[in-house]
Amino acid sequence: MSGPIDISVQHLSKHFGRKQVLEDVTFEIQRGQTFALLGRNGAGKTTTLRMLMGLLKPDKSSPSGVSGSMSVLGFDPRKQAIKVRSHVGYLAEDQKMFGWMSVRQIVDFMAPFYPKWDKELANRYLQKFELSATTKVKHLSKGQGVRLGLLCALSHRPQVVILDDPALGLDPIMRKEFNRDLIVHLQSEGRTVFYSSHLLYEVEPIADEVAILDRGKIVIQQDTESLRRDVKKIIMDTKDFDTHTELLSKLDVYRGYGKTNTTITNAQQSIEKLRDSAVKFEVIDLNLDEIFEAYVIGRPDGQVHQTDEEPQMQEAM
Amino acid sequence: MFIRIEKGSSVPISRQIVSQVRAQCLAGTLEPGEKVPSVRELAVTLGVNPNTILRVYEKLTAEGYLQRRHGSGTFIADQLPMSQLASQTHHFEEELQQVIRHGQMLGLDQGTLQAMFNRLLKQTHNLPEGESEE
Repeated sequence: MSGPIDISVQHLSKHFGRKQVLEDVTFEIQRGQTFALLGRNGAGKTTTLRMLMGLLKPDKSSPSGVSGSMSVLGFDPRKQAIKVRSHVGYLAEDQKMFGWMSVRQIVDFMAPFYPKWDKELANRYLQKFELSATTKVKHLSKGQGVRLGLLCALSHRPQVVILDDPALGLDPIMRKEFNRDLIVHLQSEGRTVFYSSHLLYEVEPIADEVAILDRGKIVIQQDTESLRRDVKKIIMDTKDFDTHTELLSKLDVYRGYGKTNTTITNAQQSIEKLRDSAVKFEVIDLNLDEIFEAYVIGRPDGQVHQTDEEPQMQEAM
Repeated sequence: MFIRIEKGSSVPISRQIVSQVRAQCLAGTLEPGEKVPSVRELAVTLGVNPNTILRVYEKLTAEGYLQRRHGSGTFIADQLPMSQLASQTHHFEEELQQVIRHGQMLGLDQGTLQAMFNRLLKQTHNLPEGESEE
């Protein structure tokens, strides 16, 4: 699974005024891969995407002084923004289009911006996406609007497609349709897809790899299956936890009722070590939402349930 | 081939598909020699990344459940790997044991559990055109 790197981001940082929005963000996306950037609102997803499109200038260096760089299909978005934009299919978050135009007029309006615009292909997408050319843009539903945006992003046959939270505001059925569109029109054609989302369970079936962005930093980047293999919850008696705490790479610790629940990374190793030390423990598989939570709001130094001081509660259960 | 994906499950999607195909082979729902959807078809139907489906098919092929015939598609193997299926049975037994323990935790005694099991077995058995008793 190695091919050319279509998108590369190295030590990227950005601040607005005093606020550090992105700090030392680094990742690479291989040709043909679908890469999802996950994060809560305000984590820095849109900022990252806009910088890749050359719509925002990154800081010259990170707060610690490392100088950053970006590359999209070999172009530097800071210096070759027009090149990037004409080679990349981009769908902005909540893309605004002129409401008074018809679908046909928007398509004709977009075409001249792209040297490689394929009129035939645009027409085929109109049919496939069931968009009527004469409908006014302001009368399109949310889902149709996203499809029109996708049409504009794809009709110049870009190798790289960057989508900013495309599923935002779509109902569950439209989201499934959108995922299908992604599979048929992007993944099956070997395109490189970089998209952001806050809906993990929607991303999981589609993405080859995910990165979690939290408060401007990438906290983890992995394919979803390895992520699930690596992150588990371990339940054990608090006294055992206290004596074996150094065996666990903790993301989140929760104590209560004489037990300690620990969400850990490197689960396979830790579990082996725990088995060797003959401690009693239980392993719980987590879903992606729980893993996301552990990374984003987990407290490795531990949270204590209020009733921890009352061990008799255990009997009462 | 009918596969159901549970989103947000703690079981990874690829494992969900693999175990459903294995189970359907074991149950005879999928018959030896039957053609299964192409990677792309199944990807679109399920709304799952084609790379994931490809990995699933590769795994099932390596395990001997599927056969990929060049140019004509992917099929359920003519000879299903019976030893693999036996380990599935073993796995099922473990699951059943878990359920029994759960029942015991709820305070159900052996007689109640037995009666419950027999009743459910009968119910389930009577649904599809009753295979031979015994």
